[in-house]
Amino acid sequence: MNYMPGTASLIEDIDKKHLVLLRDGRTLIGFLRSIDQFANLVLHQTVERIHVGKKYGDIPRGIFVVRGENVVLLGEIDLEKESDTPLQQVSIEEILEEQRVEQQTRLEAEKLKVQALKDRDDEATAFS
Amino acid sequence: MLPLNPIVVILHKEPQETKARRYQRILEEHLGLQSLVFEDISYESSLEDCPLDEDEDAFQGLGEEDEEIDQFNDDTFGSGAVDDDWQEAHERLAELEEKLPAAVNEQTGNGERDEMDLLGDHEENLAERLSKMVIENELEDPAIMTAVQTRPVLQPQPGSLNSSIWDGSEVLRRIRGPLLAQEMPAVSVLEYALPQRTPQAPEDDRDLSERALPRRSTSPVIGSPPVRAVPIGTPPKQMAVPSFNQQILCPKPVHVRPPMPPRYPAPYGERMSPNQLCSVPNSSLLGHPFPPSVPPVLSPLQRAQLLGGAQLQPGRMSPSQFARVPGFVGSPLAAAMNPKLLQGRVGQMLPPAPGFRAFFSAPPPATPPPPQQHPPGPGPHLQNLRSQAPMFRPDTTHLHPQHRRLLHQRQQQNRNQHRNLNGAGDRGSHRSSHHDHLRKDPYANLMLQREKDWVSKIQMMQLQSTDPYLDDFYYQNYFEKLEKLSAAEEVQGDGPKKERTKLITPQVAKLEHTYKPVQFEGSLGKLTVSSVNNPRKMIDAVVTSRSEDDETKEKQVRDKRRKTLVIIEKTYSLLLDVEDYERRYLLSLEEERPALMEERKHKICSMYDNLRGKLPGQERPSDDHFVQIMCIRKGKRMVARILPFLSTEQAADILMTTARSLPFLIKKDAQDEVLPCLLSPFSLLVYHLPSVTVTSLLQQLMNLPQSAAAPAPSNPHLTAVLQNKFGLSLLLVVLSRGEDLQSSDPAAESTQNNQWTEVMFTATQELLRIPQAALAKPLSIPTNLVSLFSRYVDRQKLNLLETKLQLVQGIR
Repeated sequence: MNYMPGTASLIEDIDKKHLVLLRDGRTLIGFLRSIDQFANLVLHQTVERIHVGKKYGDIPRGIFVVRGENVVLLGEIDLEKESDTPLQQVSIEEILEEQRVEQQTRLEAEKLKVQALKDRDDEATAFS
Repeated sequence: MLPLNPIVVILHKEPQETKARRYQRILEEHLGLQSLVFEDISYESSLEDCPLDEDEDAFQGLGEEDEEIDQFNDDTFGSGAVDDDWQEAHERLAELEEKLPAAVNEQTGNGERDEMDLLGDHEENLAERLSKMVIENELEDPAIMTAVQTRPVLQPQPGSLNSSIWDGSEVLRRIRGPLLAQEMPAVSVLEYALPQRTPQAPEDDRDLSERALPRRSTSPVIGSPPVRAVPIGTPPKQMAVPSFNQQILCPKPVHVRPPMPPRYPAPYGERMSPNQLCSVPNSSLLGHPFPPSVPPVLSPLQRAQLLGGAQLQPGRMSPSQFARVPGFVGSPLAAAMNPKLLQGRVGQMLPPAPGFRAFFSAPPPATPPPPQQHPPGPGPHLQNLRSQAPMFRPDTTHLHPQHRRLLHQRQQQNRNQHRNLNGAGDRGSHRSSHHDHLRKDPYANLMLQREKDWVSKIQMMQLQSTDPYLDDFYYQNYFEKLEKLSAAEEVQGDGPKKERTKLITPQVAKLEHTYKPVQFEGSLGKLTVSSVNNPRKMIDAVVTSRSEDDETKEKQVRDKRRKTLVIIEKTYSLLLDVEDYERRYLLSLEEERPALMEERKHKICSMYDNLRGKLPGQERPSDDHFVQIMCIRKGKRMVARILPFLSTEQAADILMTTARSLPFLIKKDAQDEVLPCLLSPFSLLVYHLPSVTVTSLLQQLMNLPQSAAAPAPSNPHLTAVLQNKFGLSLLLVVLSRGEDLQSSDPAAESTQNNQWTEVMFTATQELLRIPQAALAKPLSIPTNLVSLFSRYVDRQKLNLLETKLQLVQGIR
């Protein structure tokens, strides 16, 4: 049955493996089991995938119910091509560590930037 | 005098009802008997008696509704049957399916009730019996759930089915969810769900009418399943009381379930006629002592056979488990229902509920691909879209007969459809792999077909619109373009027609609603209530115009720009309207068309006025207004779109103005680079211009001095024009047009000719002067320029010009 051709209805995506990107930046991969009109999703055998650089790690999460408004995008995963990735899978601990490191570097860079701006501002006021 | 809803009446008096009376009532309402003498029933002997307090007449009313229902079921009255070979039953079922008549047309409104029971009437009866078995709240009370799950086999039945099979409480909970989604509560799996009654259930003596609403919160907003006034498990109105069946399972007296709300499913007449059901090829069904209007009775054995046969996925329920089913001798309904229900449920959603442990121990290892089992099963690619795995017949006993019918129809439709489409193009291989995956996926089809349809229905409702062109312009246009493209391709290629399924959105007629504000009675004066239809002014904003003197130069400039923007917006609206007239013209009636044309003309005039500024006097005002518009990116695009609608004169005027101010516009366009979009409409226009205009245009473009007197040392105007892509392209187009005119009409008026020649001479001089490095790359180079220049310059200069302007292909 061709559900609503030409539209972005999720009905035909049911029972297929999907990658869902959430607004908070998380990436979930799971089988889409159920939807509703708000695009709330029920994901089964969900795995949260953390990407850092060329590495990724999977955290098994079980069943997810995602409120539709928090979804940025989602797409079907081609099971045949799924393993065809240049990315390297690592253990959960490792990826979490990598993520922490990345977060830290980002924060430090941010801090430096803020400091630089502040200094410039101080300079400017000093001259005027 | 009968109460309107006799069931209600009964309910209130229920606690005092004798068992016998209750059964009598159940049978009467359920089976449509006018008066049933209960004493002969063997069951009664095992039942306790309670005092009766009801009005017997009430039952008659009930009975009238259910004339077509089977009256004496062996399931109910006789002893349970021993199960037969399920395969045999399956074959019989297969025959049955062939014989089932095509019922009513599928109604989309009933689409939710799409689980069709292939066994027809027998399932109906079963369903009704099943409905009696469910006690709603028991399903929710966790204490009961756990109790149910751990409780041993129900006592009265020897070798009865292991209660663990019944412990699909969680399954049922899940079942309930989607079922709530039905707007027509006709079929609720819960109603037919597994019995939760346990022998020790303390709430047996509860008055079901006082049962609270289901724990699960249901909001009345769309997006949740509809709120039900009565607990979910309440059976349909025509369905009788659960207590009867509960009696089967446990000897304690059970109260009648609360009545169904009036908004119950289709009246009985809409169901499959019993005569149709009589066509079931089971001999024991015929020759019943009761009137032929009553559907034949299935012996428990036959019922079990049929049910067993319906189980086409042995993996789902191993034969050993199935063997246990008919062990439920005393509760033939339960027996018959259970495997079917579970199997059906299991087929549609295989929940890992602990209650189903018993089942699931078997299924996972023994889940062969269903299509192999079931001969008429559709191809593997079907599985993808069909939530009801057509490979086996789902248990639809619990469903409303109409729902079942529709479901069956739909299944058959889809089966046929998919059989036809089998192997269609790219579907095949991709689908088959996917289907393999789905087939092995035990969690597939958790979302029922019904639920998918429900969501789909909501989504379609959201697409309802009175004027799709207004509401969904881009979608409509896009698909129109697609269709035109495919139509064009078809005409050309004459290949196989690609069927592009188009979404047909529901069209809603425009209704004129006159809003009448709410009026309160007894209030002094008129209280105005502000609502979305009747908005009230909240802020009293007064516009104060500033005096001119106060404004600074900057403000003036800003205001002017803002005014220009406003003009652009207004003109754009006019433009969109004008562009839409063609479509409206096609849709309109004959009488309306002249009026439409008038409107269109009027709008075009307004657009032009807006572009050039209102007529202050006879002469057009300065070009300033137009130039201001052209400085804004949107303005340029708009002019490009307006040009085709203008008359030649008006368009020529625009073009001239542009040519005059071209350097300025070029400077302003440096960031946007939108001018080239004007080239196309300008070119089109130029090719319609007469010679005179072309000449003057060329003069304008190149800022050539009016007289052939000593030319200025430098021509910044021309330089600017030549350095800009658009400018150069436009120039070349004009030159080309001039050449066309010249060559096509050599006998033209000499004055014109002379003028043109003069201009051309000057033009070539200017062109020769310009250093090549300064030239831009034009968008397109007309081919006749070489011949043009050859008229006016000698060989050497011609070569020079050619090189400079890159007129010869080889140089490029």
